[in-house]
Amino acid sequence: MRSQRRLAVAVTAATLIALAGCGRDSGGGQDEARSVSDGKATGEITVWAMGTEGEKLGAFAQDFMAENPDAKVTVTAVPWDAAHQKIASAIAGKQTPDVSMVGTTWMGEFAKTGTLDPTPTDLVDKASFFPGAWDTTVVDGTSYGVPWYVETRLIFYRKDLAQRAGITELPRSWEELTAFATAMKQKAGAESGLYLQPGGTGSWQSFLPFAWSNGANLVDGDRLTLDTPELTEAAAYYRSFFADKLSTTIDLGLQGSLEQSFVDGKTAAFISGPWHIGLLAEQGGAGFTEKFGVLPMPRRKSATSFIGGSDLAVFKDAKNRDGAWKFVSWLSRPQVQVKWYQTVKDLPAVQQSWQDPGLAGDPFLSAFGEQLKDAKSPPPMATWEQIAAVIDAEVERVAKSGTDPGAAVKAMQERAGSVGTGG
Amino acid sequence: MATAPVTTPGTGPAAPTGRSQTGRTATATTARGQRRRRALTGWAFAAPFTVLFGLFLAIPVVASLVMSLTDLRSTDLRTPLSVDFVGLANYVRLFSDDLFLRAALNTGVFVLVGVPLTMVLGLAAASALNSGLIRLRGLFRVGFYLPVVTSIVAIAVVWRLVLDPEAGLVNALLRLVGVDGPNWLGDSGLALPSITVMAAWRNFGFLMVVFLAGLQTIPADLYEAARLDGASRWDQFRYVTLPLLRPTLLFGAVVTGIGYLQLFEEPFVMTRGGPLSSTLSVSYHIYNQFGFGNYGYAAAASYVLFVSIVALSVLQFRLLRSRD
Repeated sequence: MRSQRRLAVAVTAATLIALAGCGRDSGGGQDEARSVSDGKATGEITVWAMGTEGEKLGAFAQDFMAENPDAKVTVTAVPWDAAHQKIASAIAGKQTPDVSMVGTTWMGEFAKTGTLDPTPTDLVDKASFFPGAWDTTVVDGTSYGVPWYVETRLIFYRKDLAQRAGITELPRSWEELTAFATAMKQKAGAESGLYLQPGGTGSWQSFLPFAWSNGANLVDGDRLTLDTPELTEAAAYYRSFFADKLSTTIDLGLQGSLEQSFVDGKTAAFISGPWHIGLLAEQGGAGFTEKFGVLPMPRRKSATSFIGGSDLAVFKDAKNRDGAWKFVSWLSRPQVQVKWYQTVKDLPAVQQSWQDPGLAGDPFLSAFGEQLKDAKSPPPMATWEQIAAVIDAEVERVAKSGTDPGAAVKAMQERAGSVGTGG
Repeated sequence: MATAPVTTPGTGPAAPTGRSQTGRTATATTARGQRRRRALTGWAFAAPFTVLFGLFLAIPVVASLVMSLTDLRSTDLRTPLSVDFVGLANYVRLFSDDLFLRAALNTGVFVLVGVPLTMVLGLAAASALNSGLIRLRGLFRVGFYLPVVTSIVAIAVVWRLVLDPEAGLVNALLRLVGVDGPNWLGDSGLALPSITVMAAWRNFGFLMVVFLAGLQTIPADLYEAARLDGASRWDQFRYVTLPLLRPTLLFGAVVTGIGYLQLFEEPFVMTRGGPLSSTLSVSYHIYNQFGFGNYGYAAAASYVLFVSIVALSVLQFRLLRSRD
């Protein structure tokens, strides 16, 4: 018995000691960007990258090493599923690489840990990037990285079905988009004239472009503003597609049947990113590429789409900070961005790269390039993933239960407001 | 352990016996020295386990308990000690969190329906196999047990295909008899029942094996005696099988209850917690909260789940323990 009591005392003491060290700092100074030394990069530069980027970057960096003979770039490929956890663990253990690829919606969270090095202003010219992409790196007024590649969303539609539906003018406004979807359903026999994701993970990426196009801002300073009239109108517009049965309420993406239903003509149009060009060409077989096209987002107050992609960030714990920033700056050169596009098909974040004939000459890609000029991302905040889940849930209620748009955005604001921006 | 046995077979003469009755003797000091040495030897043998247990189990458990009392978030990773101690605020917040309450309700319904359903299926299969009603016993035993050892993710993926509203097997069969089947996993009223049935199908094989072992320990002469007294098959089951199987049933109920309270993979693979949060389970909610970086909050939810598991097990022990 006595030893048990002693153990309890020890545990309590340890706990109290741990707690005594607790307590948040009230201050927290503004990060100052430090400049980077001149000359060539030297030493080993460790880089983490996910997915295809992780597989191909190592070989791609040979050119950088040829230019900087004293530098050695070591790339570790990290699977996307494990990436967030791996970076978080590395931050906690102060065992970060020098550079890592960071998903744009993770920037707020990682920057708030105070682990990312502010972007040196003398090394990177922010005007060379798409403004929406640059904004994903800015947390509390300081930039903590550089956009690497981007993607945005357009409306994919079946050209042949549009012809059958007698559509001569492509939709440019919300009203015209509704008429377009109605004609696709009624005259071309599609089950969904325009398929919109009926809630579920990531449906905010389909919904928010309508809100942004309607002039909505998600935050005002540190305060979330999700219950504005602009958002209510966007929710009402989104809801109308389900209420008028212009879109199915079955989550085709979750079932993995979206592509097939588009090829079959059951879905006449849907919103997605550039990866669907290849997917549809593959699924539809020979000649299918002729049968579909892409449309820009329809205009309300603006014609804004969603911008995603990945940024490159350098860590404060980097052993080779200067080398790391030099490598990042090399990856942002227009001609290197073009070559990277040719290697892995990642769309360049640098505007100048889009003048390359390989991109400007492709009708699909040039449409994406055009949309990128008016594309937004949610402002980086530490709690974004959680707020996105709140929006996803309310979008689902609007789509499947026909919840009143006003009530839905009010619930969004209440639930997301209790989460806060983590600021 | 309270009563000292009169004779302890296998114990050497050095064992200190009868110390309380005889009081202090001259040999007390040497006995104490001996005891201490024996204790030390014991601890030395136990040390490898104790150290590992402490490092990898006890400390993390205590740390997570402490974590549940703080507002630790993923943005505090670099400075985990500079968080605020918030007492029970996380626990209080849990019970005003609509999503957590919904998850708790879903999990509760799943356990309340799923555990009895799985046990009835398991017992029925075990009884049928045991009574020789079914030929090809080995084949059925393997067949029923197969889902238990198959990867849950593979099963969930296959069931998602089976339950597909258009191409799925279930609705194809329904169409044969002229019924237009619903969207099993896409309907907020049917998704949880579908997952419950799937879980029962997957897990009853394990209980079948356990119950089969239990049934085989029941002496055949009891049934013979019951038959002589004119008991019907049902009477035999009711008055011989069930009472004697009680400890086995208890084991089955506890194990299944613990597993079902931690429902996660099925909704994760099949429905992502949807539609409209109708298949969100407590474990899934905790997983999401850890994913959002709300470490303190998620740890608190984990402890609530832990306490519910203990409570359910205690309840089952009370309801099903042998009354003698």
